Amino acid sequence: MILKKGDNFKFGFKVTQEIHTNFIGLFNDNNPLHTDHQFALNKGFNGRVMHGNILNGFISFFIGECLPTKDVIIHSQEIFFKNPVYLNDELSFNATVIETYESVNTIVFNFTFKNDKEKIVAKGKIQIGELI
Amino acid sequence: MDRTEILIQINLIFKDTLDNEELVIMESTTANDIEEWDSLTHIQLIVAIEKTFKIRFTSKEIQEWKNVSEMIDCIKSK
Repeated sequence: MILKKGDNFKFGFKVTQEIHTNFIGLFNDNNPLHTDHQFALNKGFNGRVMHGNILNGFISFFIGECLPTKDVIIHSQEIFFKNPVYLNDELSFNATVIETYESVNTIVFNFTFKNDKEKIVAKGKIQIGELI
Repeated sequence: MDRTEILIQINLIFKDTLDNEELVIMESTTANDIEEWDSLTHIQLIVAIEKTFKIRFTSKEIQEWKNVSEMIDCIKSK
């Protein structure tokens, strides 16, 4: 197995204007909560809320590019959005291996994204398989 | 836990993992009997079984199973 229980990874991600614009361009989610500052303020937020699934893109990068091997595949993923993410927020991503299943080359991570105020904005689990 | 109790748990795991409430798993059941039991769901089934019974299999053990009965034998041996 490439990883063992307790292995920990930390990365920083920034939700830039480019990411926000490209996400909308690719998936056409123009909901005003993400695109209309005044609408978001009226709903009680501090500004446009970034699409939660941008964070899944960061997770995809983590699994696909940041592990010691490229021989991996995501089996499943669960994510809970706990607090809003705003444009240009700098997020700290922290993932820890919590379970390994050597019989089927499978690894489970717990992860969190925190904003610069140390508030958890999202958390969840990722199950990956090592391709052999 | 006796074989019947293990089989009941296995049935619950298979129904949940394969999203099929009508599934009935017997000791004689094999992967060939269940359409949804493919290589990816196989991994999910093993992970769920290991987690539920708080055991770990080896890949060799899994490869040797010919049916659910042998899976139960292996669970009981842990």
